[in-house]
Amino acid sequence: MTQVHIASPLRDYTHGASPVRAEGATLAQLLADLDRRYPGIRFRMIDEQQRIRPHIRIFVATREARDLAQPVAAREPVHLLCALSGG
Amino acid sequence: MLATPSDAQPAASAALSAAERQRYARHLSLAEIGEAGQARLRAARVLIVGAGGLGCPAALYLAAAGVGTIGLVDFDRVEESNLQRQVLFTSEDIGELKAERACARLAALNPGVQLIAHAIELCAANVRETFAPYDLIVDGSDRIGTRYLVNDACVLYGKPLVSAAIHRFEGQAMSYVPGRGPCYRCLFPEIAEGTLPSCSQAGVLGVLPGVLGSLQATEAIKLLLDIGAPLLGRVLVYDGLSMRFDEFRIARRAECAVCGDHPSIHAPQDPPGFCTVEEQRRVPRLLPRELAAALARESGSLRLIDVREPEEFARGHLPGAINVPLPRIEQQGFAAAQAAPCDEVARERLVFICRSGARSLRACALLRRSAGREVLQLEGGLLAWREAVDPTLAL
Repeated sequence: MTQVHIASPLRDYTHGASPVRAEGATLAQLLADLDRRYPGIRFRMIDEQQRIRPHIRIFVATREARDLAQPVAAREPVHLLCALSGG
Repeated sequence: MLATPSDAQPAASAALSAAERQRYARHLSLAEIGEAGQARLRAARVLIVGAGGLGCPAALYLAAAGVGTIGLVDFDRVEESNLQRQVLFTSEDIGELKAERACARLAALNPGVQLIAHAIELCAANVRETFAPYDLIVDGSDRIGTRYLVNDACVLYGKPLVSAAIHRFEGQAMSYVPGRGPCYRCLFPEIAEGTLPSCSQAGVLGVLPGVLGSLQATEAIKLLLDIGAPLLGRVLVYDGLSMRFDEFRIARRAECAVCGDHPSIHAPQDPPGFCTVEEQRRVPRLLPRELAAALARESGSLRLIDVREPEEFARGHLPGAINVPLPRIEQQGFAAAQAAPCDEVARERLVFICRSGARSLRACALLRRSAGREVLQLEGGLLAWREAVDPTLAL
């Protein structure tokens, strides 16, 4: 199980929880599992063309992931980052 | 043309006076600052965009630190709901221009600082001349369109930028120096206005911008003095609930539209739906007593549109008013007002209302050309209405 840190604007889907846990050997599998647990959260991050939306960044450990096929090790935390506009 | 990194560091001039040595004694004890560094801070010119949650603490610490010239850009007026986090203002400031009140407070804190109030809405037409006199820009704006405008102007005009943003209990901060790493567009290439919730919609812990604004002041001082390791190529994420700081590496994107290898943005651009201060000045206004008289005389031809958030509307509103929050108007234009469940389409005059008049003015300026009918604003908002017409109105 991978620890997934949820960006503040996405926590409505996890009922405020962060971090949460999800399973998957790749980022695509991990996000699919996350969506099973918290329906709707994946679409806020990934568009219909299976691209990461421009206001979302995903980091595996501290490295940015730009490809959903990227492998994810269970011991590496995943951070979902969302642009914020408040000042 | 891109500036060299040394452009962030102003030249130090004359030695410090005895009074300055006393005031900044704790800085002079730091080997990284000392007398030369303090003189450099005195020669520095910093512009803060947005005198809000982030801008207030950043400005307080930069003024206290002895940054010689501080400019504040904000066209908005102080509202009561600002006071939970915008620590430069008091209850007596409600209704006053933020930029002017902030400068007055900072002048009391440190009379040695030159303070410049820019009570303007930053836009593509004025960003170059506004930024020109300054060495470094601190972005504390609360709109994504302004963030891109500020970022693009900093890249194009070679200005170092310290950026931060907040949401509920979370904040992010990063710095940019021309030629030394990624810009904000490298991190988030493009975001449509309205995609992200604002603090007024989502809420924000009052002390959160205090943490992030203080980080911005720290970054600004480091960049001005060329000390330490600034947040270049790194984004710092603070989660106040779990009390965590996380840091992520970000790289400059070769395909970035403004700082990439083949940029498509060659001049700062206004976000879609932007309206200038001049357009706002042209909006016809009704004083509360004029509106009360018009409603008594011709209520059938007036439609009251309250552009506050639904929670504010629920607390109290004018009889017959409908609620169309400003973010919806910004996103959908006149269609937002037309979609409201009422017969306003048949009515001739639209009167836009909010708490103090700032949001309704923006709505009017946005819709004046597309509404196809007379568009008016309640001047001074419901605060003025309560004072002049109905003291029992709950807000």
